[in-house]
Parts: sequence; structure tokens; C-alpha cells
Amino acid sequence: MSVMKIAANAAIATSLVLALAGTGKANEIKGKVSVQGIKSAGDIAVYIDAIPDKKFDPPKEPVVVDQRKMAFIPHVIAVQQGTTVEFLNSDPVGHNVYWPSISSNKKLAHNLGTWPKGEKKPFQFHDVGVASLLCNVHPEMSGYVVVTPTPYFAVTDKDGHFEIKNIPAGKYTLKTWSEDGKPTTQAVDVSGPTATVELTVKK
Amino acid sequence: MKSRAVNTSIIAGLTGGVIVFLVMLASVPKTSAIPAFSRKYQTSCTTCHNNYPELNDFGEAFKKNGFKFPKDDETFVKEPPVLLGSKAQKEAFPGAVYPGEIPGFLPVAFRYEGNFTLNRKQPAGFVAQNGFTPRTDLFAPNTFTIISAGSFGQNLSFWIDDDISVDAANANGAMGDGWLKYSDLGHGIGLPKNALNVRFGQFELDLPFTQAKSIYLSSYDIYSETAVAGSLGTTNNPVIFGSPQRGIEFGGTPNNGNFNWSVAVVNGNNTGDVVRSSKDVYVRVSQKFNLERDPESRNAIQAAGPTGPRDHTSVRVGFYYYYGKNQQNQTGTTFPGIATTLEEPFYRVGGDLRFKYRHLELFGLGMYGHDDNHLFTPGPPAAIAVAPAVKFSGGFAGANYWFYPWLIGTFRYDAVNSHADFINGTPASQYHTRNRFSPGFQVLARANIKVVGEYQYTFGTPYTDPVTGNTLFFRPNTFQAGIDYVF
Repeated sequence: MSVMKIAANAAIATSLVLALAGTGKANEIKGKVSVQGIKSAGDIAVYIDAIPDKKFDPPKEPVVVDQRKMAFIPHVIAVQQGTTVEFLNSDPVGHNVYWPSISSNKKLAHNLGTWPKGEKKPFQFHDVGVASLLCNVHPEMSGYVVVTPTPYFAVTDKDGHFEIKNIPAGKYTLKTWSEDGKPTTQAVDVSGPTATVELTVKK
Repeated sequence: MKSRAVNTSIIAGLTGGVIVFLVMLASVPKTSAIPAFSRKYQTSCTTCHNNYPELNDFGEAFKKNGFKFPKDDETFVKEPPVLLGSKAQKEAFPGAVYPGEIPGFLPVAFRYEGNFTLNRKQPAGFVAQNGFTPRTDLFAPNTFTIISAGSFGQNLSFWIDDDISVDAANANGAMGDGWLKYSDLGHGIGLPKNALNVRFGQFELDLPFTQAKSIYLSSYDIYSETAVAGSLGTTNNPVIFGSPQRGIEFGGTPNNGNFNWSVAVVNGNNTGDVVRSSKDVYVRVSQKFNLERDPESRNAIQAAGPTGPRDHTSVRVGFYYYYGKNQQNQTGTTFPGIATTLEEPFYRVGGDLRFKYRHLELFGLGMYGHDDNHLFTPGPPAAIAVAPAVKFSGGFAGANYWFYPWLIGTFRYDAVNSHADFINGTPASQYHTRNRFSPGFQVLARANIKVVGEYQYTFGTPYTDPVTGNTLFFRPNTFQAGIDYVF
């Protein structure tokens, strides 16, 4: 193989990689959330805010929030708008799940009632916002469903790390929600394969 | 001789009246919710109480299970117990001490209760005859209680509560309950779970409606009624139905806790040393009819309501009977000239009903008391003769309604009909000596902090108008408001 041919093949391969990168199939955001005045950097939802003129089909697969040992597990879950969440009761005691509002909109309050151990009760979240999950006989139980407008979201681990994958290239607005901190907003450019961001959530 | 007999009767009558009056004023010891369990399970008071210290269905199941969650208790315990020997030590028994356990934390909780009292203004004639009562009293009774309770492994549970101080500064209180219970004694012989339990120590009898863990500021009047003949004879019975007693109790809660039985053998007096050789017997049976339509909900610990777990819709009916023989004159000094011990059999009998539906609770209890009675003639020769029995009847009925989970309206009607009370100076009317309406409210400011109010609207007490000499009636109504917190 001539040197010219090798160079041409390399150029084609490079172009393909660049072209794929351009479609955004493999882009991701990696980052870390730092906190000020908050006990933990864990359980903070990070998501890309609504993208103008872009609609997303809701996922077909439901996600599960468990009630186990008198706690909602996970404590914070982020879901795309339109997702069905199945609330499972794994305890031998009666629980119920209700939320008094979604992002302070009390018209969106809902009470799912009571169901026995091993059974689930589904609910499809159509409205963007945060539902505070409560149980009316065990007030120590609390959980959150963060309903995001896009399928690009994550919840931080205990050290504040997060990773959002499969993001098309573009410029977006990254938002956070945390139980104890104020929401933060930050612009992010996801034109390369990996965008790295540092966020700070303050009380 | 006749005048001596009359004097003795007057003194006995006055003494009896004073005793009855003191009994009326005395509130029986109160125990409370247990924040120690909140710590153990990291859960709120509302898990076991809709309005502490009254238990909800889950709390009842928790209590009946020896202060453990009815199912899978270990998975809920956030502070594991300390093992007193490994479980495998059971195999080494009797060559080794049988293994047990103690709570992994110090199971101690505290409760404070203080009441503000507002009394109706007394007319001058009433004050002259009955003494002056200030119109207001801040934070009395003023009670601080220490409570400890928990389990010592699978079958053993315990409870101790003691009023460290009551009323004014440095006023000593007393122990309420202090007992050890062995649950499920019949397991080895194939009886249903918790069909046979045994409890030792000092405990409130298995009352239809607990006095020690009552939500009300005032005691159930019929529970504190004592049989004192006063001028009518010798009966002077120290038994106060609602107070804790020392003894042994066998009982059980088979049929998913819906049937309850207990038989207790107790000393028969509530304070100080025992005063007689014979023991009293108390028997109670009750059946709860669970009216939930859905079978799954009916058999669950709590019903599945559309907005969350709640108490079952249910009707509970019960029956109780207390029998004893009061003994006096063991030393021959109570009735001089009479060498023998005077025995006066007595009984208390009654029934009760409770209905629960959603946010509403209705309840009622009736009681009839009967004490044999004698007439003492000092002589000489001194003589004892049978006299008409001392009897009383009465009860209470009421309703509680939860307007919100934190706001409860209460209403109660108490009735005590005792001719002896009337004769001996506890008058309101000849037949209704201690009747009152008591509407109230309870506000759970937090799950462990409560503000309680209660208005006691009583029947009229007669007094003589100092000017006209006419008999007038005055209602010594009282409003009480209290704060109550546990931690």
C-alpha cells in the first residue's frame, strides 16, 4: 500500500470520526457538584433544561421507587417528563404515597392511597417540576421525583459526581435541583465528546 | 351510748366525705407515648399514635407484640440490640444461662405536662361553706415523668414509668406502671400467637379505656369512685378502679388481636403496703368486630384508606368484672370491742363499647359498684350488724373527631350516681353526684408537642345563701388548658 493510499484512508477515518462526533451520539457531560452550606453533595439532580423546538417521546419503560424499611428508595429520582413511576411497597406495614404539590403548584397534588407489600402503583408524571413524596402515617419518610423536560439528566453520587450520556452536540442550559440548596443554572457547550463542568449549589 | 354511736357515725361520715373529695381531686398517674421507640425505629410518633398517648391500630399491634413491629421487626430496628449471649447458647441450656438481649440504646423518654386552670367565680356563700378556690392556677398539675420501655428479646417486654415530680416544686410523684411481660406462653402447646401472656409487677388493669394513657386532661370520674359508706356504715374500700395495682395478670389477644382476654390477681389497694390478706380478681373480655369490607384491608394491621393507612372501621364490645373482699379491723382497733376481722365482699361490673369510623371515634362505658356494708355500734357490747350495701353506678360516653390529623375535637359526658357520696358530703344532687360535660380540643403542634383544652361543665352544688337562707346551686365549672410534650 502506497503512502498516499494510507494517508487517504487515515483522512477518511478521521472524517468519519469527526462526522460521528458531529451527530452527538457519543457526547456526554461529566461533572462534579460542590456544595456550600449543605451537608452532602449527593442526591442532587442535574439536567439539561428544555430545548426550544425539541420534543421528546416519553420513555416506555417505567421506573420504580421502592418503600423499604420506612424509606423511599432512591431518595431522589430524576425522570423525563411523561415517565411512569411505579411505587412499590416492600414493607409489611401500610404506607401511602402522596405529594402536596409539584414545584409548589398545589393543583398538581395527588394521593395514591394505600397498597400492600409487594404491590406497585403507577403514576405518569406529565408535569415538569419536583414532587415531594410523603407518607401520611410515617412523616419521617421523604423522597423526591424530579421531572425533567429532557431525557438528559443524572443524580449525583455521594461525592457530587454525575454523568449525563448520549447528548447531541449543542449548547444547552444545565440546571440543578437539590433538597436543601437553591437551584443553579449554567450554560454548557457539548460540542466535543466530553464536556466537563463544575457546579456549585448553595444553601 | 347512743350519742357515742352518732358521733362515730359523724366522724366516719366526714372522713368518708374528705376521702371521696380527695379522690375526686387526685388524678391517677398518667403515662405516655414512648419517644424511645421513635429513636429505636427512627420513626415518628404518628406511626403508633393518632393522638398520643392513645394508640392507633398499628400501635395496638406493636404493643400486643411485646413492643415490636408486628412483622419483620428486625428489619426496621435502626439500633440493633445488645445480645446477652449468642442465640446458639439456647442449645447449651441448662448448662449455660439462657441467651437474651437488651436494647442497644438507653430506652428512656421523658414527658412534661402542665395545665392552666380557670375556675368559675365562686359566690360568697359558696366560699363560706366550701372554702376559697383561686380563679386561676398556672401550670398545675405540673408533672414530669420518666418512661422506659422495650423488649428483652423475642418474648420478654417491659415498661416502667414514674412521675418524678407532680404539682408544685419538689413535689414527689410515684411509680405508675412497672412490669415485665412474657408473651406467647402458649406457643409450646400449640396455642395461637399471643393467646397466652403473663405480666408481673405493678400495672394498670386491662381497662376498657386506659386511664394512664388517656388523651384527656381530666380522669374518668367513674374510675376514681371509691365506696365509702361514711355515716351509712363501715364500708371503706381503698380500691380505685383506674389506678395501677400490683399483681399478676394472665391474658391474651388471639384471633389477630381482635379478641382480648385477661385475668388479674391483684393486691386490692393502690398505694402503700398491702392492707389485707385476700387478693382481688379482675376479669375482662372484649371482642373487636372489624367492619372493613375489603378482606385484604380487613386482615392488614391497618386499613387501606384512599388517602393512606388508617384505623379499621370497627366495633369493640367488652365486659369486665372485679371482685374482692375488703377487710378491716384485723388488729381489733378499727372497731373496738369487735375481735374478728370484718370482711366485706364487693364487686365492680360493667360493659363498654367503642366504634371507629374514619375520623370519628365514639365510646362509652357503664359500671355498677356494690360493696357489702355493716353498721358498727360501739356498745358495750360492741356489735356489727348487716347494713344496706353501698352502691354506685355511672360511666362515661364521648366522641372524638379528627378535623385534621393535628386538630381533634373531644367531647365526654361523665356520670357518677352515688347516694353515699351525697350523704357524705360530695353533693350535687341526691342521685347524680359527679356528672359533667367536658367538651375540648387537642392540637398536635408537633408529633410530640400537644396543646390541650377542656371545659368541665358540672352539675350544681348546693349552698345556703347567707342573706336569705335559701338553698342555691353553684356550678363549679372549670376550664383547663395544658401543654404536653415528650422527648
